[in-house]
Amino acid sequence: MRAIYLIARREFLSYVATWGFWLSLASLPLFMGLGFGLPLLIENSQPTRYFVMVDQTGGELEQAYLSGLAQNREDQSEQIREAVTDLVGDSPQIQAALENQPGITDDGRYVRVYPEDTELEQLRPYLLGDQLLDTAEGPQPLFSAVYLNKSTSGEIEIDYWSVNLTDSGLRLDIKNALQDYMRLDRLRAEGVPVELIETINALSPTVRELNPERSDETAEITAVDRIPFFVSVGFALALWMVVFSVANMLLTAMIEEKGNKILEMMLASSRHHEILMGKLLGVAMVSATLLLAWGSLAIGSGVLVQQVAAAADMPIAEILSAVLDPGLLLPAAGYFLVGYLTYGAIFLAIGSLCETIHDAQTLMTPIMLIMMVPLFIITTAFDSPDSAVVEIASWVPVWTPFIMLARLPLDPSMTELIGTTSVMVVTALLVLFGSGSVFRLGALNHANQDTVKAWFKIGGNKKKPE
Amino acid sequence: MSDTILSLDGVSKSFSGKPAVRDVSFSVERGQITGFLGPNGAGKTTTLRMSLGILSPDAGRIKLFGKKPGSAAMDKVGFLPEERGIYKKMKTEEVIVFFARLKGVDAIEAKKRALAMLEEFGLGHTIGMKVKELSKGMAQKVQIISTLVHEPEFIILDEPFSGLDPVNQKTLEQMVRAQADAGRTVLFSTHVMEHAERLCNKIVLVTEGRKVFDGDVTTALSEVPRRVIIEAHSEHDLASLLSNMGIVTEGELSSEGNRSWKIDLASNSDAQDVLKACVDATVRLARFEPVKAHLHDAFVHLVETHSHKTGETA
Repeated sequence: MRAIYLIARREFLSYVATWGFWLSLASLPLFMGLGFGLPLLIENSQPTRYFVMVDQTGGELEQAYLSGLAQNREDQSEQIREAVTDLVGDSPQIQAALENQPGITDDGRYVRVYPEDTELEQLRPYLLGDQLLDTAEGPQPLFSAVYLNKSTSGEIEIDYWSVNLTDSGLRLDIKNALQDYMRLDRLRAEGVPVELIETINALSPTVRELNPERSDETAEITAVDRIPFFVSVGFALALWMVVFSVANMLLTAMIEEKGNKILEMMLASSRHHEILMGKLLGVAMVSATLLLAWGSLAIGSGVLVQQVAAAADMPIAEILSAVLDPGLLLPAAGYFLVGYLTYGAIFLAIGSLCETIHDAQTLMTPIMLIMMVPLFIITTAFDSPDSAVVEIASWVPVWTPFIMLARLPLDPSMTELIGTTSVMVVTALLVLFGSGSVFRLGALNHANQDTVKAWFKIGGNKKKPE
Repeated sequence: MSDTILSLDGVSKSFSGKPAVRDVSFSVERGQITGFLGPNGAGKTTTLRMSLGILSPDAGRIKLFGKKPGSAAMDKVGFLPEERGIYKKMKTEEVIVFFARLKGVDAIEAKKRALAMLEEFGLGHTIGMKVKELSKGMAQKVQIISTLVHEPEFIILDEPFSGLDPVNQKTLEQMVRAQADAGRTVLFSTHVMEHAERLCNKIVLVTEGRKVFDGDVTTALSEVPRRVIIEAHSEHDLASLLSNMGIVTEGELSSEGNRSWKIDLASNSDAQDVLKACVDATVRLARFEPVKAHLHDAFVHLVETHSHKTGETA
């Protein structure tokens, strides 16, 4: 135990002193920040597009476009309100906050200009960038020139001139607005009253989601009921991220240690299983530090959000209750431990066989591929937790920690819980034992990556009988 | 207290069917410096690893402090492996404290010893420096200190002189002698005979995984045929004159017209017999040199003899 403690302590302190640790620590908030902030940043950094619209019908289509555009924006705002309500609950404060955001979809990216001469040949140099428009931002090229017309048979025709082939926002806005107008126009022409059309458009069923396990008043499912699912998937993803990052740390540190020829000195001071366990424990402490830091950050951010936007009225208490639920937290700790030990031992064994990272890449690739699978399955499990693929994958011991963790709020059967856990624990023990043996051989240079390749070629290179 | 620190009895070990150590038996006695000699690939490192329990033998028995090598005995052993390395990002004293604590020394005492030993080994100025900032020789000294810091009863050094410059080799020799003078038992492997000849009370010689000699240095030297080299300007037929004293080989003719002769003495003759025979025959000697055998000669002789024997057996 003394050796395990000392090795674990040394490992922990050595990792904490590296840039890699601090980068890992910063990675989650950084990625979250990027995830939320980058799209906004990209959106806000888009250049303003100047366009000319010429309605050759005398104003009918232009008016139709403007009212259609206003309606589309209202529809989009409504969709966002519904999405936010699904996520954080039906809060009047949130609705009010959203109502007060007039530009929620109106990003002002497309600005209409009104030149005196709207003939195409006059506008062409502006479209090609040979001449620039005089705008509030200074001289700018003309993004597009749109000519709206109606054929003799009543068909609406849009001539959309632009050298930009990729930015289709304006074109779609115009097309959608006029498409709705065309349909409405046709219905009117067929004698359908405008009020009826509006009534029909507003029709939508009222959906109440109810839980049969509960009685009348409490039966309705709310956003709070969904929190445990989000939390468990979040836990599973965090576990995957931690295992992935620390397993890589283990591998590189082991290769470095082998390259520095320290292992034999260590073997003269402690047994190989003590070195293996000490290293695993040391890095587990690193992972625990990461998780604690991330967890504290998440809770702190939640509380901060609630404080800053009292208007938001987010169900922080329910989220915290779900995160700190022992029914989720304890299994999560268990899955983390077993998952970490399994992958950590494998990575340590691989590291002991390799002299350089380049050597390790060959052996790492299949392990990384295996590790990537549960990432996809977890996302599937969120929508289809009862899928046969998800259930079968739960029994693959190296995937069990991630998938079963994500499935916990769905109350899988006791047989499935005990069965998958047993297979996972037995596999972890076998992996630890096997990795210990490989580690000893690798540490003493009695095996390397070629040895592993040879194991998988057994019987494959037999000469054909002559 | 037993006087035998380490004993190997009929120990063998193979890797992938290829024998590395074959039926090796020897013992290391308390307070002695034992040299474990052999050419590269003779099985020295494998034998030392088995002695520490790092590797398990396929056959035979090993006893370290009277018991099978295990964790209990490890704290009494200081091992310097052939493949040397220490944590480069740690400070010198931290490395030493770490290994001392692994061997059961408490933290405060370990720190005290680390600082004292760094001073003693002339590395006082490196306190607070990271190992990566040291020269190779200094880093090796730090590792040697890490091997000795827990004051082990038994010190095993695997090729300790390799990679050291002559000055540091001499320092290491002095250190080995000082440890033995302090009552500690030392076993070290080497293929450089000069160190063994100067340091060892006993040597064990292995080649191709087999032990070919086990005894003191004097006995090893006695295995080498004694040799006399003479140069003479003479019409005498020295080959027939000295033939009953050993094997006589005629050498080159020097620029002064003297011819050299090499006589490998038979067991019943000595250099005085050769000199007397030459004087009695009035041979005009220009040179008479009884050659003192060194361990290197004994090593080469024993290895060659073993090769002949195994060749004949084969």
